[in-house]
Amino acid sequence: MNILQKIPLLKNTIAIVNDILKVIKSELRTMFKDRGVVIMLVLAPLAYPLLYCSLYKNETLIDVSVAAVDCSRSQESRELLRHLDATQSIHITSTYSTLAEAKQAYNEKKVHGVVYIPANFSKKLNSGEQTTVSIYADISSFMYYRIINQACNNCVMDMSNQIQVERLNANGITGELATIISNPIPYEGIILYNESTGFASFLMPAVLILIIFQTLFLGIGIIAGTSRGENRFHVLVNSSVHRGGTFMVVIGKSFCYFVMYAAWSFFILMIIPRVFNLPHIGIPFDIMMLMVPFLLASVFFSMTVSVFLPHRETGMVIFMFMSLILLFLSGVSWPQSNINGFWRAFAWIFPSTCGTQGYIKINTLGADLSHISFEYISLWIQTVVYFATSCWAYSWQIKKSRNKSDVAFEIPESL
Amino acid sequence: MVSRPIYFISTVIIMTFTYVFFLTFFNEGQPNKMPIGVVDLDNSSLSRQFIRNLGTMQHSNIVMRLNSHKEAREEMQRGNIYAFVEIKQDFAKEAISNRRPTITFYVNDGFLIAGSLISKDITYMCAATSIGMQQKVLRAKGIDENRIKGIIQPIVLDTHLIGNPWANYGTYLLNVILPGILQLMVLMMTVFPIGVEYKERTSREWLKNSNNSFFAALTGKLFPYTIIFTFFGIIGNILLYKYMHYPLNSSIGWMFLATFLLVIATQAVGIIFIGITPVLRDGVTFGGVFGMLGVTFAGSTFPIEQMPIGTRIFSDFFPIHHYFEIYVNQALNGVGIHYSFIYFIALLSFLVSPLIVFNRLKKAAINQNFPIK
Repeated sequence: MNILQKIPLLKNTIAIVNDILKVIKSELRTMFKDRGVVIMLVLAPLAYPLLYCSLYKNETLIDVSVAAVDCSRSQESRELLRHLDATQSIHITSTYSTLAEAKQAYNEKKVHGVVYIPANFSKKLNSGEQTTVSIYADISSFMYYRIINQACNNCVMDMSNQIQVERLNANGITGELATIISNPIPYEGIILYNESTGFASFLMPAVLILIIFQTLFLGIGIIAGTSRGENRFHVLVNSSVHRGGTFMVVIGKSFCYFVMYAAWSFFILMIIPRVFNLPHIGIPFDIMMLMVPFLLASVFFSMTVSVFLPHRETGMVIFMFMSLILLFLSGVSWPQSNINGFWRAFAWIFPSTCGTQGYIKINTLGADLSHISFEYISLWIQTVVYFATSCWAYSWQIKKSRNKSDVAFEIPESL
Repeated sequence: MVSRPIYFISTVIIMTFTYVFFLTFFNEGQPNKMPIGVVDLDNSSLSRQFIRNLGTMQHSNIVMRLNSHKEAREEMQRGNIYAFVEIKQDFAKEAISNRRPTITFYVNDGFLIAGSLISKDITYMCAATSIGMQQKVLRAKGIDENRIKGIIQPIVLDTHLIGNPWANYGTYLLNVILPGILQLMVLMMTVFPIGVEYKERTSREWLKNSNNSFFAALTGKLFPYTIIFTFFGIIGNILLYKYMHYPLNSSIGWMFLATFLLVIATQAVGIIFIGITPVLRDGVTFGGVFGMLGVTFAGSTFPIEQMPIGTRIFSDFFPIHHYFEIYVNQALNGVGIHYSFIYFIALLSFLVSPLIVFNRLKKAAINQNFPIK
């Protein structure tokens, strides 16, 4: 009795698995037969990380060319300039006698900044007065401004401290007391997680997650758009593929994408950061745990949207620009705390936002799963919701395809 | 053109969305009042004074007081704070008795922009506290008041940012991102309308409608987009320079001209992409990849000259790179227009480039001898 009861169940299970396998097989065939899909799902995730990482390989700027205008022409001014030139960040490429000449060089883009030392520089230094050094920095890229300002700041501070002690001595304050007065409350700024304040270490982790998300999204868009654009009834799911229900189709397809992107995630998030020396202090297991809901949510999200793309090119044309929007929404360059409520809610719709935040927190900041519970739970909620929406969208499409094929079969009979 | 929604979406909707998004997103200009924490183990009037002062700084907002270093670090890892200051026990006592207590602060530069702005704030406040202390001691030592300034800070550094004195982040980014998206959409909307004629096998009719002149067919096809995108580009300029009042140190007319040239130069590049293989899907892929790289190769985020060798030459193939140079010269630095002539010419010279694929495209339009996918 018991066995008899179990047999149909077993049969059913086998039938379901068979159906799913069939969907997987046909999906894999379309994926690798189509050049566009191969480009998007294979070539892009391989090439993009390599390309971007090599472009931003120099984490910081080295030897930015700067002009000096030394009106003081004194021993002190030459010393300061020598120190500046000796830094890794800036290189004094030319010296001018007037600011106008330096401006000319700046306008011709020969230099990215100007250091101006006034004529009374050494006189004031020697008479115990306060003196000024001016810098003019290119801000067409923030990197120039930051690096020039930082280098000048450090050199001027060093020189200042030295002079300070001399002046204290001159006023009869010497020895340990002079040291104390010159720096009564020392302070120490410790940079964490990106010690070299590198540009790539900061931006690339976010870009890597977005590469995963966008290629997956656009790739699924191409596949769905193609099946709609090319089969006879302009519907998404070819009726010969699915006999089982919507579930089988959705599960079968998503399984293909998931497995493929699990492999890509390993390459992009584990290997690339190690090869290019990006931050990687996260525990691999935690990253893996985060990637499961992230990939599932991304797959189901993409499948839901892809149902509404009428042609294979539509997704690329319309959604390519979203990569940039998503980068800002992820709250990496412009801090998340300063994104206004509306855009924050909007950002939450996309799995890439929580994916990026979660990945950076684990991988760059060394957080563990308990620290990123918000992102982690959000991604699982998205997984469930987008799974439901993709099933709904697919069943709608499948129904449409059945109706259409019914109509198509009826017409010849009536003729 | 009105037949499919994609045309309307990729021109009007996307450009409008982009403008609305970025202008509302960056309306602050700089990220202000970012969350930071303090670990005040001293809890003296001196340490409280320091924290109060720090809380008034432009970029920092003290959102939490923590009990230990570990707790603070975990909040940082959760992303709730971007930095924290640690004031150790007996800070005030040591300061008064000349034992030089240290203030330590930790900054999360994993979020570089937030980290470096906050770091500036905290450094400033530490220095100010130190100076206040020095002043007190020197006065007590009976040093002449007008000599104190020279002792405390012998050399003052006076920093000028050329063209963008407020270091406005929106100014810096939007002047690249908006034309970047414009370039991307122009590419797409060059490749797509042309490619569709080939894909749908309607290229012969398309050619016939223009009396078999392929040049006329191409120009006729692309002209409406030239108008639309130039219109949106100029709207973008007006939004940036007139509505947001971003720096504009020369006539806005030059930016209008640069925008127009950016549009037509990009259309020329788009023709090449669809011409390489007159297959729509490949054209769209090329266009997309090129368009996305454009933002990087404009040279704003990370200077081109500090990228690997060869990148510099490569960047010259991006119309937006030349547009960016014009923007830096004209809008930001306000130098004489003769400095920018070379970039205007560069943009114009893109217009000859479609000649490479002209014959191929024409033949393909007549013979239709290529795979449609």
